[in-house]
Amino acid sequence: MTGNLSLLPAIVVDCVGSAMMLVLSILSMRYGFLLSRRQPENFLWSYLFYITVAIAAFSTSRAVGHLVKEFLLISGNRLLWERISPYSGGLNTLFMVSLAAVMVFYHKGVQAYDLLQAETERLKIANQQLAETSAQLHDLNRNLEKNVEDRTRELSRSEEKYRHLFSASQDVVLFCDAGGAIVDINEAGLRTLGYAETAILGHRFTKFMVRPEEFVRCRRQLAEDGRVKDFDVELRRGDDSPLPLLLSATAVHNEDGSVIGCEMIGKDLSRLKQMMSQLAASENMASIGQMAAGVAHELKTPLGVILGYTQLLKEDFPADSEHHQSLAAIERQTKASRKIVSDLLKFSRQSRSAREPVDINGLLDDVVITHGHDVDSPNLTVKTDYGHGLPMVSGDAAKLRQVFVNLLKNACQAVRGRADAWVRLSSLYDAEAQAVLIDVEDNGPGIPASDRERVFEPFFTTKLVGEGTGLGLSVSYGIVKEHGGVIELANNSSPDPPPGGSRFRVCLPVDGQKRLKHGESDHQCEEVGMPA
Amino acid sequence: MPSLCGKNIVAGKANNKPARFGNVWWQALILTLALMFFGAQDACALQTHGGVEGMVVHQFAHLHYILALGFLLWDLYRPDFVSRPWLLLRCFCVLMILWNILALVGHFAQSGLPEGDIVTEDGYLSAFLLLPLSFGRWVYYVAALDHLLCVPALFCLFLAMRRFYRDSLNSQGLGGRSEKKP
Repeated sequence: MTGNLSLLPAIVVDCVGSAMMLVLSILSMRYGFLLSRRQPENFLWSYLFYITVAIAAFSTSRAVGHLVKEFLLISGNRLLWERISPYSGGLNTLFMVSLAAVMVFYHKGVQAYDLLQAETERLKIANQQLAETSAQLHDLNRNLEKNVEDRTRELSRSEEKYRHLFSASQDVVLFCDAGGAIVDINEAGLRTLGYAETAILGHRFTKFMVRPEEFVRCRRQLAEDGRVKDFDVELRRGDDSPLPLLLSATAVHNEDGSVIGCEMIGKDLSRLKQMMSQLAASENMASIGQMAAGVAHELKTPLGVILGYTQLLKEDFPADSEHHQSLAAIERQTKASRKIVSDLLKFSRQSRSAREPVDINGLLDDVVITHGHDVDSPNLTVKTDYGHGLPMVSGDAAKLRQVFVNLLKNACQAVRGRADAWVRLSSLYDAEAQAVLIDVEDNGPGIPASDRERVFEPFFTTKLVGEGTGLGLSVSYGIVKEHGGVIELANNSSPDPPPGGSRFRVCLPVDGQKRLKHGESDHQCEEVGMPA
Repeated sequence: MPSLCGKNIVAGKANNKPARFGNVWWQALILTLALMFFGAQDACALQTHGGVEGMVVHQFAHLHYILALGFLLWDLYRPDFVSRPWLLLRCFCVLMILWNILALVGHFAQSGLPEGDIVTEDGYLSAFLLLPLSFGRWVYYVAALDHLLCVPALFCLFLAMRRFYRDSLNSQGLGGRSEKKP
């Protein structure tokens, strides 16, 4: 190759290239700055920004150096450039080394950044898991709180229910500890036993038993089977009267399975026993009535024949003859026997009754007027207390009259000899039971408890021989039952009993077809005798 | 302990010698220091940096820059650096490495070029390289056009940074690293 090669292209490229380097490096640095500003937490952007700064510094030093060189050389100041050149070159070298150092630093920086990122991610995941766990825990906690609230509410409701059952139960409910001491008892238990709470709590159950040795068997069974059912015991009430109780008990165990006490439910059997007794008495009365009816029926005809022939024979003898007197005596006794037979038939309800409206108050007045004067009791006062507006009772007036006559006569006889003797007849209408109640009471000596159950039995009497046949109350019983009513003898537990005396109550239904049941009226007394 | 024993022994000897013996050592030391201070001629402690040292440093800087760019290029080959800006950044590295090599060679060529090979007739702009083109001259001439490499390299860098920025406006990603999971 010959000739010369102009360096002008190289000079031009140097100038233009330097200017472009300057511009491009500064623009790159600008974007690096914007990136690092936009996401300051991003290490890569920060690093690229440092790189671009270093490149801009290097490019500027180089470009400016080259441009100054070209300018000075073009303008003929080579000497000046030769003076400046070492500084420009040194600075350029310095920036180049710095740029290289920044680039090398990048690798470790990225590694650190990656580690940091990985750690951040792990932390983020851990935080996320923690938040999820926390949320789950929160939910669980909330559910737990709700469950606890629900359970507490259920428990409270259940406790309330059982507490109500405990307190409202009409049976005796009590709890004993392992030693047999009563630790709790319900209101009905206190009421039934008739003790104050302080007199029961803390005391052994056997203390209230009539026969404490019976409880040994109960406890043994409780220990073996864990429960006792229908155990018949007799307790002693606060007033010392016996209380028959049907006891069921369940053992209470602790977590170890050992018995720590027992729950007992006792049913008051006194009413049941009384009813059983009444039933037995009623059956007894029924069989007596049946026998009486049979005997009366068989005796009635021969007595009629005896009476007829006696009356015929009596006419054959003069009135003052001995035979006439004897026949008259036979006639009297036969009539008396026939009356007894008639009474027995009334007791056994074999005789027929008429049904007509009867004014009870008028009937009672008539009875008082005709039989209210006992010759042996001059101090006797007959009191009357009739209710107003009593309805008419459908019945046989004659038979009902006989009932009240019997009751009044008995009362008068009971108070005989007392200075302050009184007999009272009262009537009352029980609208609820639709029955008229008639009380006949006296302030006599009363009827002994041993005789109370037998007063309506035929031929049972406490009177002296000749004063009564013992059929009066039996006949009354039969008549009242025939009318569908109830006749009762008040006992000591009846409200407002006469002091020391007795009170008979007759309950008659207004409707003759209706039959009263025992206890239908609140005013009725305890029935003693055969039911309808 | 030997040192402790030795010290004890010396101490024991010192106790047996007259007190004047120790002053001799001190006097000898002071004399030596005085001779060194006042008898010194040319100081040789400082190294001079004249000659081609600047050139050598500059060439080492180029080498350093090449290694740093190579290291960066190697590091940029990551599975998650696949987007366009990272590709442009790698182009920047490659072009800059080539420019550094050219500049490195060019500096050698320039230093090896005789002063008379460049002739100026009418000012700097009329300068020319004498022919025929030897290898040194040819290398010098090509190296003088090094901006043809470094300007495209910086242009790649500019494009990469601009793309990074625009991508960041569209998303909160890391310019290709956004999907990366540690």
